[in-house]
Amino acid sequence: MPSVLAYHRPGSLNEAATLLSDPNTRAIGGGTVVVPDARIARETGVELVDLQDLGLAEVTVSGDVTSIGAMARLGDVSRDDRLPALLREVARRELPSALRNQATFGGTVALADPDSVLLAGLLAHGATVNLHDTDPVALADLLAAGVGDRIVTSVTVETAGIGSVAVTGRTPADVPIVAAVARRSNTGIALALTGVADVPVLVDPANPTQGLNPAGDFRGSAEYRLHVAAVLAARAVSEVSS
Amino acid sequence: MNITLTLNGLHTTLECEPFDTLMVVLRRQGLVSVRYGSDTGETGASAVLIDGQLINTDCMLAAQADGHDVVTIESFNEPELHPIQAAFAATGAMQSGYSTPASILGTWALLQDNPSPSEDEIRDMLSGILDRETAYTKPVEAILRAAAVLRGETTEPFGPLVLTPMTDGRNPVDVDPDDPRPIASAAIPRLIPSRDVPEMFVVGKPEVKVDALRLVKGNAAFTDDFEDRGQLIGKVLRSPHAHANIIEIDDGAAVALPGVRAVLHYKNTPRIKYASGGQSWPNPHPHDQVSFDTKVRHVGDRVAAVAADTAEIADEALRLIDVTYEVLPAVFDELEAMLDGAPVIHDEDDTTEIHDRNRNIVHHIGAERGDVDVGFAEADRVFEHTYRVHQVQPVPIENHISVAWLDPDERMVVRTATQVPFHTRRMLAPLIGMEIKDVRIIKPRIGGGFGAKQEMLIEDIAAHLARATRLPVKVELNREEEFMSSRTRHPQTLTYKTGVNKDGTLVAQELRIIGNTGPYGTHAYTVQTVSGLRGLTSYNCPNKKFDCDVVYTNIPVPGAYRGYGAPQAEFALEAHMEDIAHELGMDPIEFKRKNWVVVGSELDIAPHLGERSVEEGEMEEYPKVLSSGIEECVAQGKRAAEWHRTLDPVWTTPADRPNIRRGLGFAFCMHGTAIPFLDMGGCSIKINDDGSFNMLIGATDLGTGADTVIGQIAAEVLGVRLEDIKVYSSDTDMTPFDTGAYASSTTYISGTAAKLAAEKVRVRIKERAAMLLDVEEPCTIELRDRRAWAPDGSSVSLEEIALDSLHWQDQEQIMDTASYVSPECPPPFAAQFAEVEVDVETGQVTVVKLVMAVDCGVAINPVTASGQVEGGMIQALGYAHCEEYAYDESGRMLNASLGPYKIYRADEMPETEVYLVQTMEDSGPFGAKAVAEIPKDGVAPAIRNAILHATGARIDDLPFTPERVFNALTQQG
Repeated sequence: MPSVLAYHRPGSLNEAATLLSDPNTRAIGGGTVVVPDARIARETGVELVDLQDLGLAEVTVSGDVTSIGAMARLGDVSRDDRLPALLREVARRELPSALRNQATFGGTVALADPDSVLLAGLLAHGATVNLHDTDPVALADLLAAGVGDRIVTSVTVETAGIGSVAVTGRTPADVPIVAAVARRSNTGIALALTGVADVPVLVDPANPTQGLNPAGDFRGSAEYRLHVAAVLAARAVSEVSS
Repeated sequence: MNITLTLNGLHTTLECEPFDTLMVVLRRQGLVSVRYGSDTGETGASAVLIDGQLINTDCMLAAQADGHDVVTIESFNEPELHPIQAAFAATGAMQSGYSTPASILGTWALLQDNPSPSEDEIRDMLSGILDRETAYTKPVEAILRAAAVLRGETTEPFGPLVLTPMTDGRNPVDVDPDDPRPIASAAIPRLIPSRDVPEMFVVGKPEVKVDALRLVKGNAAFTDDFEDRGQLIGKVLRSPHAHANIIEIDDGAAVALPGVRAVLHYKNTPRIKYASGGQSWPNPHPHDQVSFDTKVRHVGDRVAAVAADTAEIADEALRLIDVTYEVLPAVFDELEAMLDGAPVIHDEDDTTEIHDRNRNIVHHIGAERGDVDVGFAEADRVFEHTYRVHQVQPVPIENHISVAWLDPDERMVVRTATQVPFHTRRMLAPLIGMEIKDVRIIKPRIGGGFGAKQEMLIEDIAAHLARATRLPVKVELNREEEFMSSRTRHPQTLTYKTGVNKDGTLVAQELRIIGNTGPYGTHAYTVQTVSGLRGLTSYNCPNKKFDCDVVYTNIPVPGAYRGYGAPQAEFALEAHMEDIAHELGMDPIEFKRKNWVVVGSELDIAPHLGERSVEEGEMEEYPKVLSSGIEECVAQGKRAAEWHRTLDPVWTTPADRPNIRRGLGFAFCMHGTAIPFLDMGGCSIKINDDGSFNMLIGATDLGTGADTVIGQIAAEVLGVRLEDIKVYSSDTDMTPFDTGAYASSTTYISGTAAKLAAEKVRVRIKERAAMLLDVEEPCTIELRDRRAWAPDGSSVSLEEIALDSLHWQDQEQIMDTASYVSPECPPPFAAQFAEVEVDVETGQVTVVKLVMAVDCGVAINPVTASGQVEGGMIQALGYAHCEEYAYDESGRMLNASLGPYKIYRADEMPETEVYLVQTMEDSGPFGAKAVAEIPKDGVAPAIRNAILHATGARIDDLPFTPERVFNALTQQG
């Protein structure tokens, strides 16, 4: 049985939603994860629904709130100087160049990679996820619950304030074992961590590792991740506080 | 389905299936510059421009490109090179060139947006295209130069920066901290000439690689780039278990699937024993493999293979093969595998010559000079340290690939990515029931090998399937298979015991190694022998002993990997020597210098640890070091690394960064050049009508520049330009025998064969010239500038000589052949320096700079030689710092993709500097020694010693990942 049974490129959100209501379909943004997964890893075929024709790639800046379309490429956002430097930087370092030119914001949200520093950056910027046909959801809640068959249309972030990122990895551009992203705004400090839970999480800046129970792997044991999370959280918070 | 797109400027409609990637569809169109490295975009080899942006086509459906603008490098296909292509060629920015089209396209897109990119911006663009060969230094230089040219600026010709020697060539000097290090682009090799080396015309010059044109244009070059009508796809079913008996295979459903042409496994394939390591005849025992066995011994081991009309049908057929396993206990650690009660991995009765089958010990290797027990008793102090080195992968960006077919005479032809075409021919023939004369191996360009392709890895599968189907069959590994079923570096546990006198003189040194060869021997005997050789040769010592057990386990198979046992041993040795120096209160470099070998030193354990090892008493005279530039290397390296900072606490402990400690480390490196009395290369040269030459060599250029370097050697002898030598390698039907590309042998062995062949041709040319010039003594004629010159200044062109000899009088084909095997193994030497920053709160080590000063004799081509050093250092950096196989409890690899298995990319590289210290090695062609492998030896210990300098922490197991370093810092308190 072929791995990808059919390819769809709907022209409207309603059409896309109808296609995706079939459990045998999956949405693709850039497709960098879903396409290989469908082609290699799966034993049963799927139908892929490409969202590129839905007009979801716009980045809209409105005062201290920016809306990033679900189909905006990480590479485009990393070069968009209307956005805060920190967000651009975490979009840039999320993936190497060519993959960055393919991967999308919506896909990154849907994937919910626990090691995604971009997601931590969005969390620290108070991200809200806008979905087709349902109410917006705070990114933290969406990551915990999963996107399911809903269609992400955009991500809204608060851009005021200053931000900082602190990471530990095997090499300078490695996907960090643990990362901390902090942002200070009028409402206080927001702090998000990667590598310490099933998804990137918002934590209490005053007590950043409380309640965390990370799974260890070959890059870092649970104990090590908790230790480094505390160190990096303190660094990121200190930098935005000074 | 149909898609419509603009392809290289043309409105194009293409047919594709929903599951086809854009890469597959473009390659089907003959756009072979779009290359396969993975299915996930992790290598970047498949990247093209889509709507002006660099995009991977291996993780993108063709259907996604419908309506878009797609550009491949074939769109640049003009007779003249584009300035970007020209810059890549001129700077040696491609070695194998496998991913060069993607890099050039990315450069084009970058320069469209930004005509003056910074180095950081260039490195960011390159970050998506992994390069295992150049360390990115020369590509960055190429892009800076291309940008300048496109801005209308002129650039200087690319070549080495020639420096004044700092030493007299023999004695150490104090390096003045105020003597500034030479400043130049990192890509430019620093060349320190020796006055023993005469001026030459082609040798020693930064000639452009002979295969540059096809590589920068993305022309057909590699195994998969050529059309084979009716080609089937072969795929391999692999074991999910680390250790299991195959009780039954039911292939009925797979055979019945439409489009399946053959299904092979133990039931229908002859059981013929072999060892897969590409080595000279006779391959070392035990011959512990068969094409398809009744037992699997690691996750990823072969179970069966299919050939089908398409990849999708082949995949489906693999799923339909029903295998019944009896799962057996498995063992992964080399120490546990030797214990009583450990599972016996080779219990079959047709594998013989296993040293101790029940303890999984495949080989015991020993050698001794003098008496170490007496030495330890006499020594003032005795030190003993144990080190553990881990498993890593060569990671060529081109995976293993073979295409096999029966030619019209029904001989078996295999076009394959191999370093060892002649060994493969000999090893393959019996497995497929054919005679050697009926097997032909063609080696096209290879997208990197680094030892992984010194192996008959999949050629037998492709050939079995081609015989079964009588159609061409392609077998190409995917990236996960490359990790699970290709070859890796041997993990080892090494214990050094050294007796030293108070003044720092070594008295006795013993090295005990337990090597882990996974479930198959392949290179086990020779790699571990080289570990002993390299681990006990660098330093003079009257009493030496090597004691080694090589052990079977159930990990994916270790084999040859650039360095071949030396990186393991030299890590342990340079760490051990460093620690002894600290214990003795001596400066580590002074302590090492007191003992390291110099010109005239006997390489006394070497003959006892060769492929044809001899017993003590059989040798009348031991080989000696005949050339060494180590003191110049140390001086140049110290200055470049700003070694004086080791004593500066303001530098080591920066006040403004309280969590950071800085350190510098050093390692002394010594390697070999080819295997004496064994490695052989052949070359034949014939003249053409225009005075040019065809040169046929069996040597196997993996991207190293071997074809170029060997061509330069011939051109120097024949008095012509490199462009007049048309190099062809290698094809077992056409080219002379060569043992292959390994053991740092090609320049030295195959290069000498080329020099001898060219000298024989030169004699004939002189005789013809003497006739034409009416000169009595042909030996008085000289060849230069494509002409033959008589002592009186009269001359005749090589073209005139060729036309005369081929067409006019006493016609003959001026042509000759020579081969070479060396009784010597002259060691190259190097001083490796590393600068690190250690985050003491997290354990993260950042490697800031690597400096390597190498004595490789005369670098025939300083650009390709420095490229070897740069690329070797980046691989060694990965070994030291971030690469490792990780497994779950069942032996399944957890990180079989690039990313989780971390190799360095362009935007995170440390600064690198390469110094080529010339010496005149009289046994080598125009003074050359080896350079390919020595860059693998010193990086890990230099980083280890730099961490020691920065923090006081001794870390004796690799790699230096954050948690491992943090734990060492914590234990140290």
